[in-house]
Amino acid sequence: MRSQMFYRVKRGAFLILAYTVLLAVAAACLFPLLWMFGSALKTQETIFSDFSLFPQQPHWENFVVAWTQANFNTYFWNSVFYTVAVVLGLVLFSSMAAFAFSRLDFPFKNALFLLFVCMMMIPLPGQFVALYVLLTNLNLVNTRLGYILPQIDAGQALAIFLLKTFFDKIPKDLEDSARIDGCNKLGIYRHLALPLAKPAIAVVVIFNCLAVWNEYLLAMLIFSEKKLMPLPRGLMVFQGTHLTEYALLMAGVSITVIPIIVVYLVMQKYIISGITAGAVKG
Amino acid sequence: MSGKAVRQYARMSCAGILLAMLCGIGGCSGSGSGTQPSGKKEPAKKADVVVWHWMSDRDAVFQELAKQYEGQTGQVVDFQLFAPSEAYSNKVRASAQTKTLPDIFGILAETRDFASFIKAGFVENLTPAMEADNSQWKKAFFEKALAMETFVEGNQFNVNPGIYGVPIDVMNIQFFYNKDLFAQAGLDPEKPPLTFEEFIAVGKKLKAANIQGLVSGWSEIWMINCLADNFAWNLMGRDKITATLKGDVPYSDPDWIRVFSLFKEMQDAGVLATGMITMVNKHAEQTFANGKAAIAFNGTWGVNVYRGMNPKLNYGVFLPPKISDKYPVAVWGGAGSSFKINALSAQKEKALQFLRWMTEVPQQKLLADKTMNLPSNKESAADIIPALKQFSAAMEYAVHPSQLPYSEFPRVVEAMGKGIQLIIIGSKTTQELAAELVALKQEEMKRLEAKKAAGK
Repeated sequence: MRSQMFYRVKRGAFLILAYTVLLAVAAACLFPLLWMFGSALKTQETIFSDFSLFPQQPHWENFVVAWTQANFNTYFWNSVFYTVAVVLGLVLFSSMAAFAFSRLDFPFKNALFLLFVCMMMIPLPGQFVALYVLLTNLNLVNTRLGYILPQIDAGQALAIFLLKTFFDKIPKDLEDSARIDGCNKLGIYRHLALPLAKPAIAVVVIFNCLAVWNEYLLAMLIFSEKKLMPLPRGLMVFQGTHLTEYALLMAGVSITVIPIIVVYLVMQKYIISGITAGAVKG
Repeated sequence: MSGKAVRQYARMSCAGILLAMLCGIGGCSGSGSGTQPSGKKEPAKKADVVVWHWMSDRDAVFQELAKQYEGQTGQVVDFQLFAPSEAYSNKVRASAQTKTLPDIFGILAETRDFASFIKAGFVENLTPAMEADNSQWKKAFFEKALAMETFVEGNQFNVNPGIYGVPIDVMNIQFFYNKDLFAQAGLDPEKPPLTFEEFIAVGKKLKAANIQGLVSGWSEIWMINCLADNFAWNLMGRDKITATLKGDVPYSDPDWIRVFSLFKEMQDAGVLATGMITMVNKHAEQTFANGKAAIAFNGTWGVNVYRGMNPKLNYGVFLPPKISDKYPVAVWGGAGSSFKINALSAQKEKALQFLRWMTEVPQQKLLADKTMNLPSNKESAADIIPALKQFSAAMEYAVHPSQLPYSEFPRVVEAMGKGIQLIIIGSKTTQELAAELVALKQEEMKRLEAKKAAGK
């Protein structure tokens, strides 16, 4: 009886400690978001004097002003378009390439895969000048396609690496049974590999949605016309050379993070379901 | 082929076509560019002059000026903003490689890089235009501002002598002071310190009143070097500084030691606010604007920044305190922002006409009123707000390292800034810094000699 009590107290203490740590981590993660949202409701003057998380006189109109001043009507939908196009292209091409690297035999397979992996070491800004020269020669500067293709290319290395690792773990027997059911290589990719790789694809989607949604340097390089620019261009309106309109900037940033939070929440469900499904299958 | 396989191929094909359409349509819709000056595509609304800039705080005024210009002349000027400055610089460099620079652009780089652009043939020499009609255009500018755009005969970069840029605004760095805090400390708010002794005395009084003294972005080495340069110019004059850069006067010279020791004196007297050497300028500006520090060492842009942060801030401006009567007081400054004309542009003449118009008094006045930057046209400075007027008046004292025929090695400049930071926190003595700079300078000069010899 006494020992039961002891273990109950011990477990309770452990849970209290665990929840305290988790709450602290959650608070540390949420604080910047709350601060951003609170700052979005202040004025340019009060942002430097009122350090409360939520101002006494909230300026909700900042969101409307930010949306109109930053021309989000154009940039927001541009970013939606670029994100969807890049992520679709990336998932399609990288999953096919990863399946080929994992399941097909062809000359120099390993060397080619290594080359793809090496691409992860070269950040996109390091390729800017060469990329600009290439796109100029292809007549793709200042076009949407010229912006989408390099981003699909930039995301390939990590996506192929992730997906290949996932495809490698699919048992050969499953592939054989699919073949007995009449699937050819493409059928195995479409009906077997792709559905099983949903968790890995979700990771690829989340990583790349975030990267494309926040991308700005490449857009600055490739686009000249304002109407083609993505969302971060709108935020620049609030950042002067020496003076930043923090309240409006925070309102603008609050607007921009909403879609990415939604994508994250949706995709997170797939990752968790994928992991648990795998665990049950053993 | 089974029906199942056909359906499967059909689905895959649809996905592929959808993606291709998505990209293709996007590609088509975005291609109506008017932004490649030497470009390969026809613009939707053709601009006569395309300008690339990075000044997000001035974009709205630039657009307004472009509209005015179109109304007056019928010429369409397209201002295109690329910010922040790093992204802008990337774009300019990449465009230079493909010879697709716009008609007018700015170069955000050191003089060395500016010289490279000129030598590569990307920047038009504006001397004939500036000196036409008895140098009418040239005379309109602050001399110091134009000096930043000028390469003189025998310059170290081997650039053909000439004027290669049009300054659109100017800047200098001085001391802002909070009049209310001065009064609170028992100081006369209308009598800012003129000499270094008075400056130290002010610092002591502020400290006694428990008020933070000087704030500035001294975690950024260039800002700490600005004040060191001011002191050095006042103490040694142009010739001795030139001799130092040339290598004829060592940093162990007593005058240089005196310059370094001034920072120690400021720290010992409590003039410097807590955490000065780790302070970024944004934080310093915020501290001063909130009335939490009495003095700020900041540039012309501070007028606009403080107005944005605290419109009620009651402040004045004073020159760097005088160290010596031997030479004039100096303030670090020169051109703020400037535009260059693309020497390869087919629209050079139109670009020139526009820049000439843009630097005339009414346009410069509009720029100053809307952006609180100091106009580069000295005639337009007569009718601006008092704080800016004080900055404008100080342009005659403006000095900048690029005005000298020699430049210091970047390693030496960095070591000086870091060394002064260490002097402030008491981790280095003035003598130790001087010895370090002497050794570094010798090392760099030897390296340069070896490079020259190898070049021969």
